[in-house]
Amino acid sequence: MDSFLHANLPLAEAAKSEGIGWNIFVYSGLTFAIVFGFVALARKGLKGRVYTSLPTRLAEHLFLFLEGMTVNVIGPQGRKFVPFLLALWSFIFVGNLMGLLLPETPTADWSLNIAMAVITVVYVQWEGIKANGLVGHIKHFAGPKLGGAMVVISGLIFVVEIISELMKLVSLSLRLYGNIHGGHLVRESLDTLIAGIPLGGLLLPLKFFTCIIQAFVWTILTCTYLAIATAHGHDDEHEGDHGGHGHEPELAHA
Amino acid sequence: MNKYGLIGLGVVLVIIGFAVKDQSWTRPEMFAGLELDLGKTITNIGVFLVFIPVITMYFYVPLKEAMDARNNELETTFTDVEQLRTQMQTMKSDYESRLSATEAEARTQIQSQIKEAQALRQQLVSEATERADTMIRQAQLEIDQEKAHAIATIRTHVVDLSLAAAEKVIGENMDSAKNRRLVEEYIDALEVAS
Repeated sequence: MDSFLHANLPLAEAAKSEGIGWNIFVYSGLTFAIVFGFVALARKGLKGRVYTSLPTRLAEHLFLFLEGMTVNVIGPQGRKFVPFLLALWSFIFVGNLMGLLLPETPTADWSLNIAMAVITVVYVQWEGIKANGLVGHIKHFAGPKLGGAMVVISGLIFVVEIISELMKLVSLSLRLYGNIHGGHLVRESLDTLIAGIPLGGLLLPLKFFTCIIQAFVWTILTCTYLAIATAHGHDDEHEGDHGGHGHEPELAHA
Repeated sequence: MNKYGLIGLGVVLVIIGFAVKDQSWTRPEMFAGLELDLGKTITNIGVFLVFIPVITMYFYVPLKEAMDARNNELETTFTDVEQLRTQMQTMKSDYESRLSATEAEARTQIQSQIKEAQALRQQLVSEATERADTMIRQAQLEIDQEKAHAIATIRTHVVDLSLAAAEKVIGENMDSAKNRRLVEEYIDALEVAS
């Protein structure tokens, strides 16, 4: 089995030994260039009352899609997070798409993915602190207020929640890395099965679908984290109006 | 921290990431299989700290402003349309009420004219009947007068003829006893009458 893998995955082996290395900045730079190129084209079409240019219409649909998703998961107060989600979605999607045509993909590098995960988790914590205050945000990691000897349980919950928050870095980044890098490996393996016939091309529709799904998964998970982190402050603001919802995040919109 | 602060922090992190890229601690053995390079991670965090505010300023804000402006324009248009529709409804109701009033007035006038025509007809019929009755009465009177005149004329002629006949009778048969007696009785009757 090991010899089969070595024989059929030469690019994977090469990647394992050398990796994309700092060439990732070429690919991520290309990704940013494509995103900004698309955005520049989309901006040109914003003049008219009706958006006729395809990039503008696509950008509008992307914005409406992300806004709808955010409002569904977080509520109307979640609209302020749309710029962050738009940036994440556009980079992940374009980065993933590059893997369909180019030999490397920025999102198949765990170092980059974990950077995006750090940005995401820090942003979520920052918004949670803004919504609940530093003490309120830290307190919510301990779960519901327990009295007496149950304080020990609160302490355990706090530790588990902190570990859970840290694991979000791993889960977010590894999921994207595994899907995109795994897709590359499968494609390259299929390409080498029969000499001269790029069978991996048959996976392009599936990989395209994966590109969309992975961008969507990252952004909707970010929405969920934001909803959980900011829901308490929102509940407190309207506790008098609604009679209080306890400390459950407002995910009823989802 | 505002967006310019984020961009500045991002630039600093990019520089730091490149500065530490060859140091051994950036590639922990624990994650060797996953090719983790903390130098790249730090650099990428810096890149994203630049990318997110820039794309927000360059694309999100203009897109949002354009869409909000379009939505506001559409809302204004819809409001105008709604106002025009309300005005049209008001005008339609006004015209309908005016039309109803005009129709009612027309009906009243028609009824009034019909009544006037009926009264006039009744008056004309009465006058015609009265005139006819007068004419009939006058004709009847004339007939009666003519009849009386004719009767008188006939009586005159009869008397004259009677007298002529009587004169003849009297002239030729004066000698008969019977005629003599008739003349005598007639004369007697005339005398009694006179």
